[in-house]
Amino acid sequence: MIRVFLDRIYLFSGYLAGLFLIAIFVLMLLLSGGRPLGVNIPAGDDFISWCMAATAFLGLAHTFKHGEMIRVGLLIDRLNDNVRHYVEIAALLVGVGFIGFFAWHAAIMTWQSLKFSDISQGVIAVPLWIPQLGYSGGLVILFIAFVDELVHVLRGFAPRYELPKPTSAEEIVERAMQSGV
Amino acid sequence: APALVVPAAAQTKWNLPAAYPADNPHSVNLIAFAKDVGDATGGKLQITVHAAASLFKAPEIKRAVATGQAQAGEVLISLHENEDPMFGIDVIPFLSTSYPAAKKLWLASKPAIEKKLASQGLMLLFAVPWGPQGIYAKKDLATVEDMKGLKWRAYNVGTSRIAELVGAQPVTIQAAELPQALATGVVNAFMTSGSTGYDSKAWETMTHFYDTQAWIPKNVTFVNKAAFDALDKPTQDAILKAAAVAEERGWKLAEEKAKWYLEQLQANKMKVLPPPPALKTGLEKIGEQLTADWLKKAGPDGEAVIAAYKK
Amino acid sequence: MELLSIAAILLGFLALLLGAGVWIGVALMATGWAGMQFAGGAIPAGSVLATTVWGNSASWSLAALPLFIWMGEILFRTRLSEEMFRGFAPWLNWLPGRLMHVNVLACGVFGSVSGSSAATCATVAKIALPELKKRGYDENLSLGSLAGAGTLGILIPPSITMVVYAVQANVSIIQVFLAGFLPGLLVMMLYSGYIAIWSLANPTRTPPADPPMSLRRRIAESLNLIPCLLLIVFVFLSLLMGWATATECAAWGVLGSLAIAWWQGALSWESFWASVMGATRVNCMILLILAGASYMGTSMAYTGIPLALANWVNGLQLSPYALIAALTVMYIVLGTALDGISMIVLTTAIVIPMVKQAGFDLVWFGIFLVLVVEMAEVSPPVGFNLFVLQTMSGKDSNTVAKAALPFFFLLVLAVAIITVFPAIVMLLPRIAFPG
Ligand code: NA
Ligand code: NA
Repeated sequence: MIRVFLDRIYLFSGYLAGLFLIAIFVLMLLLSGGRPLGVNIPAGDDFISWCMAATAFLGLAHTFKHGEMIRVGLLIDRLNDNVRHYVEIAALLVGVGFIGFFAWHAAIMTWQSLKFSDISQGVIAVPLWIPQLGYSGGLVILFIAFVDELVHVLRGFAPRYELPKPTSAEEIVERAMQSGV
Repeated sequence: APALVVPAAAQTKWNLPAAYPADNPHSVNLIAFAKDVGDATGGKLQITVHAAASLFKAPEIKRAVATGQAQAGEVLISLHENEDPMFGIDVIPFLSTSYPAAKKLWLASKPAIEKKLASQGLMLLFAVPWGPQGIYAKKDLATVEDMKGLKWRAYNVGTSRIAELVGAQPVTIQAAELPQALATGVVNAFMTSGSTGYDSKAWETMTHFYDTQAWIPKNVTFVNKAAFDALDKPTQDAILKAAAVAEERGWKLAEEKAKWYLEQLQANKMKVLPPPPALKTGLEKIGEQLTADWLKKAGPDGEAVIAAYKK
Repeated sequence: MELLSIAAILLGFLALLLGAGVWIGVALMATGWAGMQFAGGAIPAGSVLATTVWGNSASWSLAALPLFIWMGEILFRTRLSEEMFRGFAPWLNWLPGRLMHVNVLACGVFGSVSGSSAATCATVAKIALPELKKRGYDENLSLGSLAGAGTLGILIPPSITMVVYAVQANVSIIQVFLAGFLPGLLVMMLYSGYIAIWSLANPTRTPPADPPMSLRRRIAESLNLIPCLLLIVFVFLSLLMGWATATECAAWGVLGSLAIAWWQGALSWESFWASVMGATRVNCMILLILAGASYMGTSMAYTGIPLALANWVNGLQLSPYALIAALTVMYIVLGTALDGISMIVLTTAIVIPMVKQAGFDLVWFGIFLVLVVEMAEVSPPVGFNLFVLQTMSGKDSNTVAKAALPFFFLLVLAVAIITVFPAIVMLLPRIAFPG
């Protein structure tokens, strides 16, 4: 039950991130295509910036679960399974610690923006806690995903954020493309 | 660049984030201020100026100082006009159109701005003006009707309201992309100071500069009140004294340089013109409208400041 | 404590975390946090983290990044590479090396629409590897030239790497884009020159020419190039005509790619959404690294380490050439184990004050960095273009790495050339933005 619930949270926040990517695309086309037509989107640059933060952070947990959050595998790939297990736990502890720290402070920042009525600085005044929700919300979901994985690995299972070794040519090419360079 | 000194035990180290490049006159003034403080306190208080948004980006500076992430900071105060209309008093178009008037407006609004900053845990140190804002264009502007249809960069409330009132087409362009936008004709008119136009080589794409002196924006430098209170009395006095010196130096320099920048525009074959009478009248009418807009937002506090300014 | 020893401790800490398999973004964040402990002055490390990352990621210019990634995801699923092979092949029979030059040309052209090196390599290799093998071309040269030419994806604009650098170094994206063109041509010429010389030296290992085609056939085949050329023209026209800024032209690129995919019948709701989610994940992966890097950069600014290091390097009185040589060696070493984006974000906070003090233009340095990232893509053990080709050819990693080695050295040569003749890099940005 809780498993299904958590997995849905990761997936849906990932989908939401995808929608924000589409929003960036549409807004930019409107901003750029609108100019010769005399159409302006007031504070369009602000809205695009916020969509950028939203797509970047809301998709983190989904990316993590999908095994696409990269790390340097050079050393750990050479460890035997037993040692590797403990190294994974250590890495997860560092991850839980710092993502927790990050999420906590992002949440405080959003809360303070609400409390002090921080407001955007562009042509349209928008309370800043609204766009910051995607930022802190995405980090909180990522934190949950990290804790989820830590518990899973502590119970002796293999980590789920490590993709199995690719079996087909398409998979390897796909993985290389996911390197982003 | 600031000198790098490893802090000794009895030293206090402050960070001062600023948004503009290290060679910008405002940053130069801040570095001089930091040095004055260091000298006056015998090195007891070391202020490191982080220019060019190298520590925090402009929109984040005020908040970073308020929450103790840095002890002092400098920001274009009108950036925060959405937060409180008082922060935007110096960008009401055509309200104060010369340095003496701007100084008067600053003094009239200073108590209100100080009060607002104090409510956020900040203490005001000093304010230094930019150059007066004029209109860059590619054609003759005889009246405000000539501004109709211009592709006009709208980057804050004032500039988008002007576009609306003259029937120009407001265009959203980030400052970093302005040079390219000018070169390709995405924008064909905008308002800024002579210095910004000089820095961005406006003559490469623009032909006219109308010296409307529409408004004179200011950078404000402030400190985190708690950090200030933690200092001993002589250090506090040293800061206040250096701040007063920096403010005077900044205004004087700004005024001297404003003329020089316009000469440079001229030297680069731009037509630097006073606004023709018809244009001026039209703009003044728009100014009245925008002051009325502002007063509606600012309420009785705003009325009191404007009354004090007009006295 | 002395700043240089603090710097050494932090570097060791970072290496430890990375070695232990901590996610790169998290490791950077942890190192930033550790750096803050040395900064003094009771700075709230957590609030700084939240503020810095928000300020750096809610960013207009960064929004071009996911769009360029998305564009690559869409194009990879089209038949563009096949059409390019058929379009170029009939014209190259007179050159020593013949069809081998298709690898370079097709990667160059595909690189003008794609922002990624691995995507360019994979897309072109998908079609060129089997076609060249079928005709009896030397497989090692084919592999090597594809590995090398694939990296043109990030040197010829648009380029994900350039967007990341420009945002990190706070320089104009359009200037870095413009600066990449001529070095891109230079690298293409170096590659093609090498292929020609190799073929003249090994005449027995180049198969006979394809049967000649009539001019009409040839032109008919070349019509296949039209979709790709249209996309290039479309994106650059949107820039030059003032329809779009450098950031916005990414959106037009996505639109053009969608149009090509639709035209080829490769666009369904399913494939559309798959490309969106693929791009979203890559973007998130990069953004977490950028977030960690921006925090580490801020932390460094608090400590004053970059400036101290810059002053220290300055005190060594290296000539600018010696500095670039030292940096090249450093990046080649880093590049064996790290991917390009991490390499850039790990080092910019420290290296940029150094090169600035030595008097280098930051736009020029961006191209230098792109070239060393290209080397990293083709150097073992971790080189994504090597992974791509290893898979597609079924060869072992040693063979592929050895095949790529000459092209690795040609990239080193390219770095030397742009260092001695910086005008190759700066000419176009200077023309567009004089002064
Ligand atoms: Na490219
Ligand atoms: Na490598």
